[in-house]
Amino acid sequence: MVTQQDSPYNWGMVVDVDRCTGCQACVIACQAENNVPLNTENLYKEQRTYSWIRVERYWEGEFPDVKARFIPIMCQHCGNAPCEPVCPVFATYHNNEGLNVQVYNRCVGTRYCAIGCPYNVRFFNYWEPVWPEALRNQLNPDVTIRSRGIMEKCSFCIQRIRRAERVARRDDRLVADGEIQTACTQACPTNALTFGNLKDPDSKVSRMSKDRRAYKLLDEKIGTDPNVIYLARVEEKAEAVHG
Amino acid sequence: MSTSQTDPPNTGKSGIPTWVKILVPVIATGGLAVTGVLVAITVFVVTAWFGLPLPVFGFDEPPEQPIAFPHTVHAGTDVLLDVNGVARVGGDGQELHGLGLDCTFCHRTVTTSAQAGVPAVQLCSFCHRVVGAESNVQFEQLRGAGLEPFVGAINWQRVHRLPDSVRFVHDPHIRFLTDNPGVIGNADSSITGLSSAQPAQVCSTCHGSIATMEKVKQVEPLKMGQCVNCHRDNEAPVDCSTCHF
Repeated sequence: MVTQQDSPYNWGMVVDVDRCTGCQACVIACQAENNVPLNTENLYKEQRTYSWIRVERYWEGEFPDVKARFIPIMCQHCGNAPCEPVCPVFATYHNNEGLNVQVYNRCVGTRYCAIGCPYNVRFFNYWEPVWPEALRNQLNPDVTIRSRGIMEKCSFCIQRIRRAERVARRDDRLVADGEIQTACTQACPTNALTFGNLKDPDSKVSRMSKDRRAYKLLDEKIGTDPNVIYLARVEEKAEAVHG
Repeated sequence: MSTSQTDPPNTGKSGIPTWVKILVPVIATGGLAVTGVLVAITVFVVTAWFGLPLPVFGFDEPPEQPIAFPHTVHAGTDVLLDVNGVARVGGDGQELHGLGLDCTFCHRTVTTSAQAGVPAVQLCSFCHRVVGAESNVQFEQLRGAGLEPFVGAINWQRVHRLPDSVRFVHDPHIRFLTDNPGVIGNADSSITGLSSAQPAQVCSTCHGSIATMEKVKQVEPLKMGQCVNCHRDNEAPVDCSTCHF
């Protein structure tokens, strides 16, 4: 159901793995922006934590010469998403802006999509989300609070996209490059994350995605065609091969 | 032989105890009553599902507001009536008319943001510090609230409430309807007495003619079908994620 011909936008993100320091600022920013339920110790024990974006850590090398590697992983908004065709109620689908959309009020909680997702970025609400009293007023009014029994995932901060598009339409123009920042790109202290319109050849993400370091997670193996592009890490000993 | 053959049916007929004879019609009547109640409940739920709930048991009653704010006085232009239905007369002997204030005079953020917004008490007290009867308890409350900011906000009861999964944003809708008065479904110039799309008319598309309501109540069902139909007719996006995210 990819119908992207109507829209001037195809939202995408570029993640420069070389810049990521694993500070988790994006995780916290996302949690605050998108009303993601708090992860408690029990949730970790049950391996049912919610994190729309997570920073995965790898160790490289043997002891004294050991290095930590980080890679932030969020919903890849696949152009050919394995989660979409398995939904029996059409609650997750691809919209014309290249977003893999989750419609909360349509979801019936079959969890097929989470099984289909090869990136493990879909989270099921096994319980009604609870926030401590002190955090009630920090909830974002622009984002639905997902109740028990439905699936949720990274939306590329669709509330911010919608807002920017609304403003652009009011001024009778297109959304400018860099006008939309998702919560994670905004919070990233090293600018490892960049968000923008992949359909615009002059946008920052388009230019970055043509970098020689660019790759897509699992795309070569399973052909998911993600809208998130990763830029590979530059090895210290490697010669200068920047594209 | 004949008696022995006819006896068993005889005992069968006459053997029905009296309490069964009484109980059967009682059960039948009770069953009918239960069925009737269930049908009534079903009808109520089904109609409420597709539109506004039936006007029974006060379901069509507008909510009680902490201050009886009359939109007729502020937004309306008609002759004001008192409780007895007699036209109110001002100090100069003339009939009193509604002020005909623009909706956006109080609901100021409606053209710029998602929420229409309810004005701060300060805006009320700009006028009502002077205007309004001295003896009215609610004016005194309002003046007290307006002058002491920490006594503050009035706890208005929300009348038009959409489900939590809907992100309705006022400003593009207001802008579109103002620019395209032709598509206003209930384009009725009697609402404001004006021919072009005035705010009161734009707002009445979904809120009804608020200016004629003493107490505001919801008149449109505001179901998703209504949204989608209007979006389809006017070539607005009907993507789920337009409103649901």
